[in-house]
Amino acid sequence: MSTATSSAATSSVGAEDLIFDVRGITLRFGGVTSLDDVTLQMRRGEILAIIGPNGAGKTSLFNSLTGVYTPQEGEILVSARPGDSPQSVLGKKTHVVNHMGVARTFQNIRLFPALTALENVKVGVETRQKSGPVSAMLGLPWQRREERESTRTAYALLERVGLAARANELAGSLAYGEQRRLEIARALATGPGVILLDEPAAGTNPVEKRELAALIEQINAEGVSVLLIEHDMKLVMSVAHRIVVLNFGRRIAEGSPEQIQRDPVVVAAYLGTSEEEAEQELETHDQPELHTIDTSGDPLGHGPAGSGTPEGPRS
Amino acid sequence: MNQRLNLPDWAGRAVACLFGSVVLAMMVGPQQGSQNDYGVGFRQAVLNPRIFYFLLIGVLVFFAITYQDVVRRYASRPGVRPLVAGLLVLLASYFLMRWYDPLGNNAKFAGLADAVASTSGLAPLAKAFFGWLWWVSLVVLVVGIFVAIARRLRALGWAMAGLAVVVGVVALVAHAAAADAGGGIDHSYGAPTALVGYLVLAGAGVLAARSRSETAATREFVERVMAFRPGLPLVLMGLLLGVLALVSATWFAPQQANATLVDTSSLFSGSDASGLSEAFLGWLGYVLFVVVLLAGAAAVWTRNRVVGYVAAGLAAVTILIVLVTLHDISATATEAGYPGADGPWRDLGTGGWLLSIAVFSIGAGAFVAARRAHRPAGADEARGTVTGRLHQAGASTTVLSLALFGIGLALFYPPTATTFWQQALVTDIGVYVLLAIGLNVVIGWAGLLDLGYIAFYALGSYTTAYLTGSLPVQPPSWLQLSPLWAIPVAIAVCLVAGVLLGAPTLRLRGDYLAIVTLGFGEIIRIVAVNNPGNITNGPRGVESAVPHPVIDLGFLRIQWGGNQLQYWYLLLVLLAILIFFFYRLEGSRLGRAWAAVREDEVAAQATGVNTTRVKLLAFAIGASTSGLAGVFFASDIGYFNPQNFILNNSILIVAYVVFGGMGSLTGAIAGAAVLTWLPNFLRDQVPSEDRVMWIGAVLVIMMIFRPQGLIPAKRREAELTGLAGHDPSVRPAVQAVPASEGV
Repeated sequence: MSTATSSAATSSVGAEDLIFDVRGITLRFGGVTSLDDVTLQMRRGEILAIIGPNGAGKTSLFNSLTGVYTPQEGEILVSARPGDSPQSVLGKKTHVVNHMGVARTFQNIRLFPALTALENVKVGVETRQKSGPVSAMLGLPWQRREERESTRTAYALLERVGLAARANELAGSLAYGEQRRLEIARALATGPGVILLDEPAAGTNPVEKRELAALIEQINAEGVSVLLIEHDMKLVMSVAHRIVVLNFGRRIAEGSPEQIQRDPVVVAAYLGTSEEEAEQELETHDQPELHTIDTSGDPLGHGPAGSGTPEGPRS
Repeated sequence: MNQRLNLPDWAGRAVACLFGSVVLAMMVGPQQGSQNDYGVGFRQAVLNPRIFYFLLIGVLVFFAITYQDVVRRYASRPGVRPLVAGLLVLLASYFLMRWYDPLGNNAKFAGLADAVASTSGLAPLAKAFFGWLWWVSLVVLVVGIFVAIARRLRALGWAMAGLAVVVGVVALVAHAAAADAGGGIDHSYGAPTALVGYLVLAGAGVLAARSRSETAATREFVERVMAFRPGLPLVLMGLLLGVLALVSATWFAPQQANATLVDTSSLFSGSDASGLSEAFLGWLGYVLFVVVLLAGAAAVWTRNRVVGYVAAGLAAVTILIVLVTLHDISATATEAGYPGADGPWRDLGTGGWLLSIAVFSIGAGAFVAARRAHRPAGADEARGTVTGRLHQAGASTTVLSLALFGIGLALFYPPTATTFWQQALVTDIGVYVLLAIGLNVVIGWAGLLDLGYIAFYALGSYTTAYLTGSLPVQPPSWLQLSPLWAIPVAIAVCLVAGVLLGAPTLRLRGDYLAIVTLGFGEIIRIVAVNNPGNITNGPRGVESAVPHPVIDLGFLRIQWGGNQLQYWYLLLVLLAILIFFFYRLEGSRLGRAWAAVREDEVAAQATGVNTTRVKLLAFAIGASTSGLAGVFFASDIGYFNPQNFILNNSILIVAYVVFGGMGSLTGAIAGAAVLTWLPNFLRDQVPSEDRVMWIGAVLVIMMIFRPQGLIPAKRREAELTGLAGHDPSVRPAVQAVPASEGV
């Protein structure tokens, strides 16, 4: 906990400048503690990255911020759009949180694959519309106007993420990187004050990563704060204004990209608990893990038949 | 222990198929099996030759599953589809249709063949055709064309095409000879249908001879034909039907009188019939038909918008005149006491209605031509890109043409049907189509499995009965309503009931929701049976008949109940309104929200969709449609009881929606229509005990080979096929995440 005192320091910042004010949330699933007394503040207009090894609780934090999970302890206040008074997220449904101006994407892409790209974005736009089923059935003028508006807005968003040419393709038939961008467009369609991106670069190629970085910065420049989970350190270091590091559900570091890169605690978290152990880890790494499998009841230590590794358990 | 019996794959499947068909076969025949039966029922069932039908189905299903790839490969060869279609048409003609009406119950092909065999002095060609030529030629044709397709023997293809045409003409000639010898009034369509079948076979032969490609492009071919001159097929159809109507069909037929248009004209010349009718029968009919035909042809050929709409208008006027004439002659004949004539709109033959269908078809062709009139190339794509609406791509010329022709049939075919079919059309087919399009909203669009759908139908029916005073509990006098006024009340009641049931239960997922709704359906039925406080009159059903609706505007008074046709037209109006509403809903923001919830509820919530509200709306809209159907049913049938609302019916409606294609409006209509038509149709074709078995066989085979349904929805098709036809490398990424995981 290299920055254990930071919450006291940042609380001096005016509350209206905070998008998220997360105060000591703890999230448990049965006996497993997924988030342990996590505190963090996100300032308006910044790109804040959350990094950490697998299982560190990053996605759990996202789910807590968007109302999918309700932490057992702590408080999350959100004021996504400028001028909103801070409201608690806890106990609110996901779609209500979304209406408070918090949009997100998913780690595993979750589009509506059988809708077209344009329709995917329109779903987002239309959650802010008013016309009901009766006006749709009768084709009343304001419903038609809303429909046109939704199409126009959605198309503009697709242009913004570079998918306008594929507007009428089924979302499921888009290439992987395109699906990632479509998810961002759908999230932006709800007109959020903050957008939560969950590993947007996963599975994309270097060119797409560069485009993505540009897109994130562009979104941020247009006044939408960005909360980013990402494993790609190059991307994180290039776009993030500030970084929070989680490990085993606890916040272990916070600071600028330069600070984080130099932070020994973070290095240890990524490579192991200590340098010696990290070295051991590297040493054992080229050993096939076969010798740990099913050797009980096999005093000679022969591996499974046909494993075919000459320097196996005999060593 | 780990040793597994190493049977080849196909063995288990074969056993399963045979076992399934034996079980089906066991159910054939009366289910006796009492203690004194000593296996008599079993033996009768096993020795019954019908058992082999079912065994055969089992074997066929086995082969079809085992060799599905091979079958599919062959089925996609050019010419195979016409071959199958032609064979089906011919089988229908030879085994289902009537060939010679005067033979009464024995009027099918077999009956006529027997009669021909025992008649001397017939032309040898006719004797030969009815004796052996028909089946020998059929076998030769089918085998020959198949060989020509499979082995690419062009010469054989041409030869078979020629042979098919010759046999078709022989069939027609032989039938004419036999009918001549027999005399009497014959309106059977067996022989002409056979000719059509042979012509289709000939087409298959030509395709086998001419096609060079590996796979058939049926859809592209059809689209190309339609795109040549949009509306042309409709106009040609109209020409064919119109000529039939004017030349050979019956226009006036009390007591089996067989008056064609010419006879009817002479019958009514100098009668009390109005001048317009007499003129129509005498010359105006022909003139109008020719004028409409020419206008339609001109519209289709020139693709001129104005000409198209003028032709469509002319067609509408002509239909109006036809209807006026039909009413006039039937009313005049009744007043004049013509023997057998009993009222306006009665005793009319098929002629007038056939002419109406023909003129409607021509008008529809002109309309299609006007709609597709000289649109600048690429305009479609441009509009599609900008709006991206769901329906933009769907409304192809083919679909539009088929839909319009279907409307024509729905409007003018039912009057020519028998009373039995009119009854079936309204109470079996129509009502269930209404129910199916309602359930399609719930299951197909919102993805909620509702197994208690019939409960809302019951609520609608009992609400109507209450409001019209047919239950033991009388409503206050100010609330006593005619059935038509009960419609909004019943819709409101079912809406509320749907919300009351949905609000607490829609949080449940899939299976659980199905169980809860199933329970709800049973609760409603059992309450109706148990009759608490003598509200429902218990299992006996309503106390007095629900009255028929009346519209009384002073100058215009429409009283339903005279015959089923009136209800049919009421139903058509209701269906048209609902289809229009639902079509708009599907493409609206709510329709997209439904699709989003169905595809990925978590993502929908995260995008801001209030999933509970959206699902509740689907539930309520489905429920109120069901309630509307209930009002219609109650006022049509008069008496009903809780037996009308059993669980079985709920399941059947689900089956209709799935069979037709989940999430597809046209599919739901088609599915319900086909599956409610089938039992009525089979009534005359198979022993009554076997009826349900055949339907079961159809369902099983359909689900094996076309799980997406008759007319799949575009959105659903994409889900089921895993977006086939697109980059396969994308699929795992999209599909690896089950809807409930990976948050």
